[in-house]
Amino acid sequence: MLKIDNLHVRVAGKEILKGIALQVNAGEVHAIMGPNGAGKSTLGNVLAGRDGYELTQGSVRYNGTDLLELAPEQRAAAGVFLAFQYPVEIPGVNNTYFLKAALNAQRKYRGEAELDSMQFLKAVREKLRVLHISDDLMNRAVNAGFSGGEKKRNEIFQMALLQPQLAILDETDSGLDIDALKMVADGVNAMRDPKRAFIVITHYQRLLDYIVPDFVHVMVDGRIVESGDKSLALKLEEHGYAWIAERKLVGAA
Amino acid sequence: MRGLPSASWLALPEMDAVLDKEAWRYSERAWQALHAQKFIAAPASELPSALVERFDWPETRDRRIVCVNGDPALSADLRLRDGERLHLIFANVSAAQPQRWRREFAISLEHGSAQVIEQHIGSAGADVLGELSSRVHVAPGAQLHITTLCDLPDSVSLYRQEQVEVGAGAQYQSAHVLFGGRLQRFDLDVEMVGAGADYSARGVFAPRARAHIDVHLDARHSARDTRSDVLWRGVADQRGRGILHGAITVAAGADGADARLQTKNLLLSPHAEIDAQPVLEIYADEVKASHGATVGQLDERALFYLRSRGVPLAAARSLLISGFCREAFDGVADAESRARIEALLAERLPQAGETA
Repeated sequence: MLKIDNLHVRVAGKEILKGIALQVNAGEVHAIMGPNGAGKSTLGNVLAGRDGYELTQGSVRYNGTDLLELAPEQRAAAGVFLAFQYPVEIPGVNNTYFLKAALNAQRKYRGEAELDSMQFLKAVREKLRVLHISDDLMNRAVNAGFSGGEKKRNEIFQMALLQPQLAILDETDSGLDIDALKMVADGVNAMRDPKRAFIVITHYQRLLDYIVPDFVHVMVDGRIVESGDKSLALKLEEHGYAWIAERKLVGAA
Repeated sequence: MRGLPSASWLALPEMDAVLDKEAWRYSERAWQALHAQKFIAAPASELPSALVERFDWPETRDRRIVCVNGDPALSADLRLRDGERLHLIFANVSAAQPQRWRREFAISLEHGSAQVIEQHIGSAGADVLGELSSRVHVAPGAQLHITTLCDLPDSVSLYRQEQVEVGAGAQYQSAHVLFGGRLQRFDLDVEMVGAGADYSARGVFAPRARAHIDVHLDARHSARDTRSDVLWRGVADQRGRGILHGAITVAAGADGADARLQTKNLLLSPHAEIDAQPVLEIYADEVKASHGATVGQLDERALFYLRSRGVPLAAARSLLISGFCREAFDGVADAESRARIEALLAERLPQAGETA
C-alpha cells in the first residue's frame, strides 16, 4: 500500500528526515516510536501533504501512485488520513458543515454519489454512538473551545466517518487520560481491517497496550534505527531511547 | 460628539476641511475622485423590479418603509412602539446622469423593545451619491436592536452617519454587514448617557474589486456603570480598501464603565489593504477597558487541516472566510436578523474559485 524509499526532507534548510525506508501493507499496524525531535511528526505531515517541507531525495509510492505529487485534498480522497497531534481550532466553521463538505468532496473525487443531509446525518449519528461522543459536537465550531481530550476524540470520530485506507495517528495519545486513551484505542481497533493500514506515532508504549502493533520502528535523528515486533516497544519502555542510541553507536563502530 | 457638516458640505473647500481633520489617505483620494464629476439632485424615481426583489420579503410586506433616493415625502421621525419590527429600505436608483441625495431622519423608542432591519441597496448605472444621517434615541430602560445590511453596486457611494443616545438601563444592540459600493463611509457614534446603559455592535465589512469602505466607530461612556462591546471583522480582497477606526472614550465621572473593542481583519490579496486604528481615551478612574486590532492572512494551519480532510483548496478558503465573518454574529439572538445576515454573507462573500 505504502512504500517509502530513502526519503530525505528538509525544513527551513535543515535536514530532518535522513533516509527513511518503510513499507506498509494493507491490514498492518505500524508503530513509530522515538524521542522528541526525531522527525516522527515531520514524516506524518509529509505524508499528508503539508506545505513547508522540501523533499531532497527519495520517493513515496501509495497504491502505485507518487503520493508526493498529490495535493492534500487528493491524498485524502485517495484514502490518506492524518489524525493531528495538535488539531486546529477553527471558530465560525460548523462541524457538520465542514465534515459534510469533506466527505462529499472525497466521494465526488472518487466518482461516488454525494450523500444528502439525511444520509450524512445517519452516518454521523452511527459513528458518534459507537465512539460515545455527544451529538452536540456537531453543532459546535470545529475544535473551538474543545478540551485536549475532546480534540483527540474528534480526530478519531472524523477518521471513523471518513473511513480512510491509510490512517496516520500523530501522538493521538498525548494529553489523554486513561479513559480517553481507551476510547481512542477502541475506535482504532474497531476500524482494523484487512484492507486498511495504520501508522501510529507515539512516545509511549502505553498506547500500544491497547492498539497492538504488527511492527514497531524506532526513529532517532531522522532515521529508522531499529525495527521489530511488539516486544521492541517493551524493551524501549524498559531501557529508554538512550539504549537505542548506544546500540546505534556500537553498530556504527 | 461630532456635529454634522453643513448642508453644503459637499462643496470642495468644506470637504477639504473635513478631510484635513480626518487625514485618512485613501478616503481623501477616493472622495476627491468622486467629486471630479457633477451631480444633480436625485429625483424620486420608480423602482426597477430587480431592486424590488432584493427587499420584497413576504414576512415584512406589511411593516416596511421604502425610501428611494432619499425621498423627502417620507416621515423623518420614526417613533417605534413596543414590540415593533420595522423593515427600512434605502434604495439608490441610477438615472441618466450622476445624482445625489441627502436625507436626515430620527428613530426613537420610548419604552419596551423594538427591532429594525435597515437595508441599503442600489441599481447599477450612472453614479449615485447618498448621504444619510440618523439620530437614534433609546429611552431609559428600552431595548433597541438595529441590523443594517448594505449591499451596493459599484456605482453607488454612501455616507451614513448614525448618532445614538442610550438612556439609563437601556440597551442598544446593533449588527452591520457592509458590502460593495464605490465608496462607503459609516460613522456610528454611540453615547451612553444614562447609568447602566448597554451598547453592543457586531459588524463585518468586505471591500473587494476597487471598493472602499471606511468605518468609524465611536463609543462614548458618559455615565456610571455603562457597558460597550464592539466586535468587527474586515475582509479585503482584490484591490479592496478598508479603514476601521474604533474609539472608546470614557468621560470623567463615568466610573464602573466596561468597554471592549476588538477588530480582526483578513487580507485575501497582496493588493488589498485594511487600516485599523483603535483609540482609547479614559478620563475616569474605575474603568475596565480593552481593545485590540489585528490584520492578517488566512491561517495556513487551518487551511491544511481542512484540505487534509478532503476539502479542496478553494472551498477550504471560502469556508474559512465565511467562518471568520460568521463568528462576529454568534451573539445575535434574533432569528430573523440572523437569517438575513447569514444569507447576505453567503451571497456576497468571496466564493470557492473566486479568490486568488
